[in-house]
Amino acid sequence: MNLPTVQFTKEQELFREEVRTFLQQELQKGTFQTKCDSWLSGSDPAFSRIIAEQGWIGMTWPKEYGGAERSSIDRYILTEEFLAIGAPVAAHWFADRQTGPLLLRFGTDYQKNFFLPKIVKGECFFAIGLSEPNSGSDLASVKTKAEKVEGGWIVNGAKTWTSNAQDAHYMVTLVRTEPVTEKKHQGLSQLIINLKSEGVTITPIRYLTGEHHFNDVFFDNVFVPDEMVVGTLGNGWAQGLAELAYERSGPERILSTFPLLNEAMEELKRQQDIEGLAQISKLVAELWSLRNLSIGVAKVLEEGGEVGVSAALVKSVGTKFEQKIPEIVRLLLDVYPQLHADRAVDRYLAESTLHAPGFTIRGGTSEVLYGIIAKGVLAG
Amino acid sequence: MSEMKDMIIEVVERIFKEKVEKETVDLLEANQWAEDVWQLILENEIHQVAVKEENGGAGGDYEDLFHLYRLVGKYAVPIPFVEHTLANLILEFININPHTELSTVHLAAKPLELTAGKVSGSLDHVPWARYAQKLVTLATEKGTQSLIVVDLKEAHIENHTNLAAEPRDSLQFTDGKILASHPLTEEQHEFLTKLQTAATVSKMAGAIDRAYELSVQFSKEREQFGRPIHRFQLVQQHLAVLAGEQAISAAALENSIALLQKGEAGDEIAFARLKLDDASRIVATSAHQVHAAIGVTHEHRLHHYTRRLWAWRDEDFHEKYWKKQLAKNWLNSSNTIWDVLTKKKQVEHI
Ligand SMILES: Cc1cc2nc3c(=O)[nH]c(=O)nc-3n(C[C@H](O)[C@H](O)[C@H](O)COP(=O)(O)OP(=O)(O)OC[C@H]3O[C@@H](n4cnc5c(N)ncnc54)[C@H](O)[C@@H]3O)c2cc1C
Repeated sequence: MNLPTVQFTKEQELFREEVRTFLQQELQKGTFQTKCDSWLSGSDPAFSRIIAEQGWIGMTWPKEYGGAERSSIDRYILTEEFLAIGAPVAAHWFADRQTGPLLLRFGTDYQKNFFLPKIVKGECFFAIGLSEPNSGSDLASVKTKAEKVEGGWIVNGAKTWTSNAQDAHYMVTLVRTEPVTEKKHQGLSQLIINLKSEGVTITPIRYLTGEHHFNDVFFDNVFVPDEMVVGTLGNGWAQGLAELAYERSGPERILSTFPLLNEAMEELKRQQDIEGLAQISKLVAELWSLRNLSIGVAKVLEEGGEVGVSAALVKSVGTKFEQKIPEIVRLLLDVYPQLHADRAVDRYLAESTLHAPGFTIRGGTSEVLYGIIAKGVLAG
Repeated sequence: MSEMKDMIIEVVERIFKEKVEKETVDLLEANQWAEDVWQLILENEIHQVAVKEENGGAGGDYEDLFHLYRLVGKYAVPIPFVEHTLANLILEFININPHTELSTVHLAAKPLELTAGKVSGSLDHVPWARYAQKLVTLATEKGTQSLIVVDLKEAHIENHTNLAAEPRDSLQFTDGKILASHPLTEEQHEFLTKLQTAATVSKMAGAIDRAYELSVQFSKEREQFGRPIHRFQLVQQHLAVLAGEQAISAAALENSIALLQKGEAGDEIAFARLKLDDASRIVATSAHQVHAAIGVTHEHRLHHYTRRLWAWRDEDFHEKYWKKQLAKNWLNSSNTIWDVLTKKKQVEHI
């Protein structure tokens, strides 16, 4: 597989500078705290609104919906700067990354006019409602069901592991709108469910750290109006697949533990540990290599190319790399991992170690991704 | 990108595909090489691809040349194409006219000693020296490092080979006459190490391309338990791993070449080299595992690629060299690693 190389333009380099300077200033002002895995576990609605004021949510979207029609490479630069510094961007992450593109591609005019400007302003956050207690990797087996009534649908069932549902206003929810047949991928639809609706109950599931990132979401006769069906009724599976490419190939699949790597290197420099730097150079080389791949996929995506397999590749290799960083850093430095440590390197190490298991599970397990890659390889 | 690239790549790949059989690669083990393939390269002037037009070449660029190196790796072509063309590229870099006689180059070694136009000392692992007429290498005189050209008739040559049976000879010079010399600045020397490294990375990426392709093909052909082995999930996992390493290596190579072409190659060449080191190990391991017993026979061609990967990863400016180099670059730098990765220092304000 050969992916294109991307050379950043001067304007793009300047944009990177602008983002970096802004984030540094906000950090110094104390607007936010840095952390590893900040795109999933760092939800801070107030910070998301500050980002929105910069015009940095939905920046690639059409101007008529409040976007700036910037390129997806610009967005790539923006998001990787967020991740590199460890800024808490989880609140708006899903809406910016996938709900917006989903609506632009499949949404009705009403949905686009209603949601996109709100997302751009940082006033409307989305959660992703796919997994259920008995449907994980085998997603097409979801049981949450919507039944047709006058003017809309009545939804019953439950979603689980829903990241950030506690801060989100809406959830794009994969539900069964027709009975299961032989072809289980058919008859699924995507509904936008207002999480404040009557009959919706959100209960926290505590992550192994005790922190609250994901949730159970229950639906008890929840009414969803017709205009909240995304795209074509019964086409939810195919529409969802299109989202996955965005979900799997981005910089968040290689940089979740980057703040730790960065800090570890600064620490090694302070200690003038040339042997340690030599050891860690392997990780840097690997990151450089993975970043080339991830940016290459972004470019193909922008040009409308097919990236299902290469996105699965980025995620499976990238998340393994994210997991490796804490394992190597802990052997190169005198560290004591603690979530509330004073030293950044100890704190980042704690966050990285404790969040690492999820990297190769969320967004499709590595085993499932290997299957997708192998199939692609054998077909090619 | 040079417009010639696609055409040349196509022509050369066709030549290699047709002419470089398994038996052709095997020639090396009988102390022979593919002279007929080399003749074809000369007749088609492929060796002149990156030579400047004023020197009688095609005026192509790094991109053209390094993509050809990748093909040399992909087909394990037993000719000194990389060595000869790289020697000439380096000569042009210091404004010496390229050679028509077969030349080789060796930079990653303790330099020879130069005194009043004569060299002495020894060099190990010099590629293809026994067949070449001229050598481009380094020598020092009173602490000054120079690039020199010597006639290999001046050397006592002992034949040796690397893990893949490629010629890697030992040379001994005693007051050997030099044909040319050119003092190198620190920056020039660094650039040459990068060129040499990028060449090795290209060959490695090519061998990885092939080991990957062979594995996919084999998994479709080999049947056990009544079905092709690619139907087994754990075999699929090997294929997925191989695909990942192949894609990453290809991207590392392409990005290195693009940076070299723009004159912006910094630490990235080292990154590519370090990554290819890992990729070589992973690819060789998984490719052999998929092939099982047949893959470890001499009869099968897989070893032509895996042995090359094992040989090349320890040659020239290798992982150990670059790790040390990177550590030195970073030790007292005020740039963070994110600055390095995003090439911050090169941003000029408009
Ligand atoms: C931190 C985190 C955040 C998440 N956020 C969300 C969210 O916001 N929204 C959402 O909908 N979901 C979310 N998820 C859920 C996630 O998508 C699922 O965990 C994932 O799809 C796997 O499902 P499962 O956990 O039920 O595992 P299972 O599917 O039960 O898998 C168990 C094991 O079997 C293996 N396995 C299963 N099928 C195969 C196969 N065909 N071949 C080989 N091996 C197989 C798996 O790889 C795994 O090792 C999140 C998960 C985590 C960890």
